[in-house]
Amino acid sequence: MAAPPPSAEPGGWRRYLTGAFFLAPAMFLLVVWLVYPTIYTVVRSFFGQQGYLGTWVGIDNYRHLFTTSTLTTAIKNNAIWVAVVPALVTAFGLLFAVLTERVRWAVAFKTVVFLPMAISAFATGVTWRIMYQQDPNLGAVNALAKTVKGVFSPAGVLPSALPSTSNVVPANGGLILRTPLHPGGVVVIGLTAIAPDQVPKSAVQAVEPAAKAGDIEGIVWRDFKPGGGKPGVVEKGELGLPGVTVQLHDSAGKVVQSAKTKPDGTFDFAKVPAGTYKAGVGAQTFAKPFGGYSWLGPSLITPALLIAYIWIWAGFAMVVIGAGLASMPRDVLEAARTDGATELQVFRRVTVPLLAPVLSVVFITMIINVLKVFDIVLALAPESTQSNANVIALAMWRTAFGGQNDFGTGSAIAVFLFLLVIPVLALNIRRFRREV
Amino acid sequence: MTRTRIAIVAAVAVATALLVAGLAGARTSAPTRAHQNLAVSGSISFDGIWTAAEATAFGKVIAAFNKVYPNVKVKYKPVGNNVPTVLATAIAGGHPPDMADIAQPGLIKQLAQQGHLKPITYANATLAKNFAPAWQKLGQVNGKQYAIVFKAANKSTYWYNVPAFKAAGVKAPKTWAQLQSAAKVLKSSGTPAYSLCGASGWTLTDLFENIYLRTFGPAKYDQLSEHKIKWTDPSVATALKTMGQIVGDTGNLAGGTSGSLQTDFPTCVTNAFSTPPKGAIVFEADFVGGAITSATKSKPGTGFNAAVFPAIKPGPNAGAVEIGGDLLVTFRDTPAIEAFVKFLATAPAAEAWAKIGGFGTGNKNVPASIYPDPITKATEAPLGTAKSVVFDMSDEQPASFGSTTGQGEWGIFQKFLQTPKDVSGIQKQLEASAAAAYKKGK
Amino acid sequence: MAAAAPAIEIPAPRDSTAARVLRFIARAPIHLVLVALGALWLIPTFGLFITSILPASASASSGWWQIFSHPSRATWSNYDTLFHNSGLITALKTTAYIAVGNTLIIVVIGALAGYALAWLDFPGRDWIFVGVVALLVVPLQMALIPMFKLYDTFGLFDSIIGIILFHVAFGLPFAIFLLRNFFVGLPKDILESARIDGASEIVIFLRLILPLGLPAIASLAIFQFLWTWNDLIVALTFGQNTQPITVWIFGQLREFGTSIDVIAPASFISLVVPLAVFFAFQRYFVQGLLAGSVK
Repeated sequence: MAAPPPSAEPGGWRRYLTGAFFLAPAMFLLVVWLVYPTIYTVVRSFFGQQGYLGTWVGIDNYRHLFTTSTLTTAIKNNAIWVAVVPALVTAFGLLFAVLTERVRWAVAFKTVVFLPMAISAFATGVTWRIMYQQDPNLGAVNALAKTVKGVFSPAGVLPSALPSTSNVVPANGGLILRTPLHPGGVVVIGLTAIAPDQVPKSAVQAVEPAAKAGDIEGIVWRDFKPGGGKPGVVEKGELGLPGVTVQLHDSAGKVVQSAKTKPDGTFDFAKVPAGTYKAGVGAQTFAKPFGGYSWLGPSLITPALLIAYIWIWAGFAMVVIGAGLASMPRDVLEAARTDGATELQVFRRVTVPLLAPVLSVVFITMIINVLKVFDIVLALAPESTQSNANVIALAMWRTAFGGQNDFGTGSAIAVFLFLLVIPVLALNIRRFRREV
Repeated sequence: MTRTRIAIVAAVAVATALLVAGLAGARTSAPTRAHQNLAVSGSISFDGIWTAAEATAFGKVIAAFNKVYPNVKVKYKPVGNNVPTVLATAIAGGHPPDMADIAQPGLIKQLAQQGHLKPITYANATLAKNFAPAWQKLGQVNGKQYAIVFKAANKSTYWYNVPAFKAAGVKAPKTWAQLQSAAKVLKSSGTPAYSLCGASGWTLTDLFENIYLRTFGPAKYDQLSEHKIKWTDPSVATALKTMGQIVGDTGNLAGGTSGSLQTDFPTCVTNAFSTPPKGAIVFEADFVGGAITSATKSKPGTGFNAAVFPAIKPGPNAGAVEIGGDLLVTFRDTPAIEAFVKFLATAPAAEAWAKIGGFGTGNKNVPASIYPDPITKATEAPLGTAKSVVFDMSDEQPASFGSTTGQGEWGIFQKFLQTPKDVSGIQKQLEASAAAAYKKGK
Repeated sequence: MAAAAPAIEIPAPRDSTAARVLRFIARAPIHLVLVALGALWLIPTFGLFITSILPASASASSGWWQIFSHPSRATWSNYDTLFHNSGLITALKTTAYIAVGNTLIIVVIGALAGYALAWLDFPGRDWIFVGVVALLVVPLQMALIPMFKLYDTFGLFDSIIGIILFHVAFGLPFAIFLLRNFFVGLPKDILESARIDGASEIVIFLRLILPLGLPAIASLAIFQFLWTWNDLIVALTFGQNTQPITVWIFGQLREFGTSIDVIAPASFISLVVPLAVFFAFQRYFVQGLLAGSVK
């Protein structure tokens, strides 16, 4: 809604004076605390690194900005932020504000959504960093993913096991013993890299199997004792691995028999017809449990940050839009309803346009917040992906305060940020003006 | 105050200091029976990194100081990792604190050359009495004393999970060869050998520096540190290849390569000492002990233990010590500040903190018996006796190369963790980054 | 804007139980959606709370949902440690002074400016408004150095008023943006008739704008309060002995160990106050403030 244009009525000079009086305190604070530092920053960007002013370097700092890769990732990331966040935050806020109008327990819901705003950015960053941890044991998001995935592809009993001798080789995700077998032969498969707590509780001392005519005997055991022991030899102190499914492959590779190992690791393929065979352990024993998505890794870090940020700021949008809704004149809505409009039409044709000024405040504030976003990236992204998650304000911080104390280049980045925002700002102010 | 009075007080102070120093060498804790100096007064503002329990411990040091100088008020402000910001703002704004605690000699060199720091040459005598020349040199810029290394961390240590070692039947390795064979056995036993903190780039630089120090010795270490030899030098290639034996052993890294890159310090420590452990060895300094006790149930001796970083080449380099530490600098010069600085160079100042634990010092007058437990003693006592000591190389570099997140050494060593075979490529990147930083003079 | 409808009272139909039940069922999808969304939103905060009642070693070894399988691990010791530290109370007091102080000031200054930019005529008014909104862009960090020097010159360093003024200044662009856009939506006829009646601008401001603008002012108060309550960098840079709670918590973090057993409980202690402010002010978002309010 456009404000009334300035008029030239009598006593207008009184209005000017009153206007000046009303504006004075704000103008004073803004000029001293915001305009002066801005001018200082612009001036400072033409000077060298250190000190209050430093030495004149002209446009060196700007040249440096565009020739190094520091800013390119940051600009790309900020573009993603601007495209995604303000729209989603405003949408969520509007949705929540409208829905909670109709519900009596609105306050409880509003509190829940507002809570994230009340937590400091630093604590929020830490919370989400913990939630996003790759280890499904520690990170909530991956724990949920693991539960879902575990339904479809359960983990094997020995996910990290490796063969202890070179005649057992990987095959189709499992392991196979290369030595050909005949009835009466003995299979010896030793496995290492098994943590003590992964050994099934029923396991007992491994026993070297005795050959039996017509059968193929074998053992699968944990081929490790303190100090290493002799690989491939069953020694005292080494435990068998019960519950492992061993498969007997004929010369064509087809599985003709399978057996399960006993507590001492032994198994037995009974009454094997004459021929050449190979034995191996199936792939399902070694199925790795879901390792977790790399939310904090280079490719997912920005989406991870976006989710956390929207979680925080939806509450802001909801409260502000809620305030706008609360002071909307009811009579206009009632008039529209009695005229026969449906709820949706009332919403689209009456509510939203009346809310336009408030919506524009939320949207534009979010755009600017997102261009300035800084502390959540600093707190949430681990050091190794900070450069992937880099944003302009963080780059400015790092340059100016992150050890190299290069205020000249830091100021140049800040000026660049100002220049970036102005057109975005102008575009959006004009757009909202037009809609009203 | 009359001249005679001053002389008497000074004489008493000196005598007391000598007495205290002498006693400190003979007994455990020497109560400061010094005559109180009521003449020196004033207040000192002190911005420091130490927070929480460490800030409390420094409070005990201040209390010990106040026993001798009760009229000097030291106001300590814990700033934590924001020291660069706060200090940079304050200096640029024209009002720095009186004293500060800075962990990077490179930054101190910068500040001294820009004329912000005041030399502490008045403390030279006290320093000479308490520290070996190698330690004094660490706080000098172009031969002039600007800082004291007050708190030192022995970075030539590693920590291991005792039960995991027992189950694997390995002993704490003393040499590199022993480390390699122990790592193989650990892997077979089901516990990956190394818990790397790849997300914290500085831990990777520490590993490299220890390897380089033990292979080539302190003299060449200093040359590399001062950029007198380039990072493309063959010695760097050798050290990187040796380091590749650890970071390239992907099956032996907790979490593999990608997991290691996302694990920061101190999470890598908790990973190695929780049940079941995800890795068995952590290569880091003496402060790991504190990290273990604060976040796990592992107990000293039975759960965790520390050992000296393995020797690579036999000979004098085998026992060289790399330290990190806190250097104290002054921005102003007043009698109160001078008194405090001199006090900090003496044994009572170090002992006030050392007996609590979590503190190491190069002060040769601090007896090994002051350390509260065997593990601390084993890691800190070598500092006092070390003749050749070098500072953490990355802290001596210009900040944009040596201590900036995601860039310079930190970022490039993280890349090395991803591609340990690309030694020459990494060398080129390191040299390019170093050259740029040295050229800009920062 | 439409003129107010004539005030004819039509008695509302008596609510039968059947009617009420029907309405509830019709609203059921909304309820379901809200409950689901609310639960989702709550999970991270809930997780943080559980973390705050678990010892550090438990949090390091397994996720916070272990509380469901091992409820005995819960303990209040993290909170105990914090409360036994006398610095906490002082820090809370300091934070209260800063937060309350700057919120009161910004509400007054912002409302005055917002009203002027919405309803007072003078040349260049709209340009000033755009300029104020553009100042939203100025990042806090860039003002640190020039303001530090200024503060030092005028002796404002390490003073509560210095920190308060900094917060007011940086909150003003948003405050003015919000209030001006809000005031602009107020019914023009009310203001016109008041002016015709000869009321001075001050009276209009106090008697009309402030009460009608209460929802916007309330939301501004909530946000300004909580942003300044949670600020770290301004207090850290411009204070020495003045330590609000964020700075104090920061001083409790270990340098070389996990500090989640400090961060989690401290965050909860800290968020109680902004939450209370939210509760206190959100009841001003009352419907129908404007119904039939033409004087």
